[in-house]
Amino acid sequence: MSHWRTAVRGLGELFITAGLVILLFVVYELWWTGFTTKRDQHRLLNTLHQQWAHGVLVKDPPLGSAIAILRIPRLGHKYLFAIVQGTSTADLIKGPGHYPGTAMPGEIGNFAVAGHRTTYEHPFYNINRLRQGDAIVLETENRWYTYTVENIPGTKARYQEIVSPSDVSVAYSVPDQPDPTLSPTQRVLTFTSCNPRYSAAQRIVIHALLTGSMPKSAGLPPALHGYRIRSA
Amino acid sequence: MYGCLWRRLPGGIPGKLLGCAVLLFATLALLFLVVFPWAGPKLPFNHVTVDTSPSPRPTSAASPVVPD
Repeated sequence: MSHWRTAVRGLGELFITAGLVILLFVVYELWWTGFTTKRDQHRLLNTLHQQWAHGVLVKDPPLGSAIAILRIPRLGHKYLFAIVQGTSTADLIKGPGHYPGTAMPGEIGNFAVAGHRTTYEHPFYNINRLRQGDAIVLETENRWYTYTVENIPGTKARYQEIVSPSDVSVAYSVPDQPDPTLSPTQRVLTFTSCNPRYSAAQRIVIHALLTGSMPKSAGLPPALHGYRIRSA
Repeated sequence: MYGCLWRRLPGGIPGKLLGCAVLLFATLALLFLVVFPWAGPKLPFNHVTVDTSPSPRPTSAASPVVPD
């Protein structure tokens, strides 16, 4: 009889513990990951500013290192992320990640970036709010690049698309073309993230076209009017 | 389970409380620093890239294969 009670009590304690662990995991995913990403972003931004200050030009940025700073006025003045090189799990927990092999900021081709929609400070949580005409600004060592959210002329790429997770053509140098070897003529930016939030059933894709490029010495681009920018 | 643990911890009530606190802290550290970071990326809503496995890999296109 008492053995029976001990077993039942043990089982009950086990279930309660499992429930607590799962609750803790939810806390970890929704809150703690944002913490660690914020810490990583802080380090990346510091390193990037140091590199810029010392004029250390990195030709082939190593995976996981910061390559540019992203600002999106539509998502608020505080919206700022260092974009890292690479789209592996380890890269993307640090911040939005640049698909290796796609164009670099401002280059002809497609600067394609993946980012978390939820968890890990969810850089792309609100990218569904981007509308045609919205600015996406990239800061590099010496230049500002302003992209404008837009359908890509001469292609089927709409400014916002919901696609299947296997639709890699959105990241082709000429986006949404069946032929990945077409040589690009336009300077395109592409964001990918999961859709809907807290699901992986689809991918949400945002396309934008380069509409402005200016040296940082000439001041702020029009889209960042009113911003306070940390100088290198 | 927990009753057994409580009986085995030494040091009277203060020692037992201290032992519990240490064990709890160690468990939380193990979960947050090892188990959860391993499990997190396996959740479906953390997959944010577009990719395919065997399709032609163009010069300009997507990442090395990320499990989906």
